[in-house]
Amino acid sequence: MGGVNTASFRDPSGFVFERGGILYRQVNSRYAPDYDLIKSSGLLDELQSGGMLVAHKEADLSLALMPESAYKIIEPEKIPFISYPYEWSFSMLKDAALLTLEIHKRAVNRGMSLKDASAYNIQFKGSRPVFIDTLSFEKYKDGEPWIAYGQFCSHFLAPLALMALRDIRLSSLLRAYIDGIPLDLASKLLPFLTRLNIPLLTNIHMHARSRLRYGGKGIKKSEVKGKISKFGMLAIIDGLETAVKELKWQPRGTQWGGYYNDTNYTAEAFENKEKIVKNMIEETGVKSGLVWDLGANEGVFSSIAASNGHYTAAFDIDPAAVEKNYIRLKHDDNNRIIPLLMDLTNPSAASGFGNEERMSMKERGPADIVLALALIHHLAISNNTPLSKAAGFFAASGRNLIVEFVPKEDSQARRLLAFREDIFEGYTTEGFERGFKNMFEIIRKEPIQGTKRVLYLMRRL
Amino acid sequence: MKYLFILFLAVPVPVHAYLDPGTGSYILQMIIAGIAGALLTIKIFWNNIMMFFGKLFKGKKGRDGRR
Repeated sequence: MGGVNTASFRDPSGFVFERGGILYRQVNSRYAPDYDLIKSSGLLDELQSGGMLVAHKEADLSLALMPESAYKIIEPEKIPFISYPYEWSFSMLKDAALLTLEIHKRAVNRGMSLKDASAYNIQFKGSRPVFIDTLSFEKYKDGEPWIAYGQFCSHFLAPLALMALRDIRLSSLLRAYIDGIPLDLASKLLPFLTRLNIPLLTNIHMHARSRLRYGGKGIKKSEVKGKISKFGMLAIIDGLETAVKELKWQPRGTQWGGYYNDTNYTAEAFENKEKIVKNMIEETGVKSGLVWDLGANEGVFSSIAASNGHYTAAFDIDPAAVEKNYIRLKHDDNNRIIPLLMDLTNPSAASGFGNEERMSMKERGPADIVLALALIHHLAISNNTPLSKAAGFFAASGRNLIVEFVPKEDSQARRLLAFREDIFEGYTTEGFERGFKNMFEIIRKEPIQGTKRVLYLMRRL
Repeated sequence: MKYLFILFLAVPVPVHAYLDPGTGSYILQMIIAGIAGALLTIKIFWNNIMMFFGKLFKGKKGRDGRR
């Protein structure tokens, strides 16, 4: 069973649907000329062989969900874990922006144009960005500007500029504005001096004004005189590329900086923890599964999971930790770990039209294995989450759980309690086990040598 | 073109029109294509100069190296 993907309704060229657990894309007859041109121009080969566009194979037309409008059915390569721009680190969004521009330039060189520059058309396979909308190309029309220019600025340039030049946390605006940050808002929020930067002056500030000035006036396209040469259009793209490349953000340490260097957490203890986690991952018996590393920091334990053959989503609340993780993974060209920004006390919600366009974190699960290492004290003490409620969250997240209990005596937990009243009488080993026993079977537990912490391997009941 | 810049920055803008941002993006591209084109031409020209000198320098170095 299955049906039209709820995120796939904006483009009349086709849609994504599911049949028998496999994701297909129906290409509609109205898109036939452009679809044929992608192939005959050599663009499809060029982009797919370069890993820029998601690979696909053509499937049997009889699979069509709406046969009356079907021209082709394609089966795209599966993306192991879907993520959204508001969950990416600065450099992930930047690389997605540069990939979008590169694809458009290559399309123009082959007589086509990218008609959508939505950040949601990019997904990551580990640290590799890939464009997933095969139907986003159309024949280049001589003299026409880039149709997706406004979308590119709202989806990429504005958030990147705000993150780099105002505050990294402003990426959260992408969560509120599903079709990109309104340019007039970006223009208001950016530092005044960005008006002296020509790419930002033109592409954001003037662009915002132009939209306010001409939008909603009912101007017909035929009334707009003048044409843009191909060179002029490519020059604008080049300007955008320069603007994006010039935006930089350097993570200064992380929220968890020095986390591992604390007094009761020695190198030996850390090694011991790595060994236990590795063994517990193997003991789950899961092969090539999906792992969620909750509170992954810079991804040490995500790497252990990935080296055991699992595709791993490494979630952390700290933009600097996620950025550092991504930079390292990108350097290694890792395609098995995706680092993502996630506040576990308020994870990504379902959003978009009918709350159906973007999936919540929960809807993207459950994972085969959940790692919750050095996390429980943050949930229980910093966020006042009862242990049974934390257990419920983990149970909804995955079937197997490797969780680390950090008792009050631990220096990290003590730090959290330093400036507040201890209202957590139930926060003990016994209380922890009691809280989890309703949801999980404890397979085994093992203390981490040289610490007061205990690692548990549990299976959901 | 310079005057257009000033015009855009100076004139107050009505703040009601969210209906069709596409028109504004379309028209702006018409306005900035010229200046973007000029900047790109300068950039290409400059890159060519740098490449010319780069080659010259590298070439000399190469000959020196062979000696």
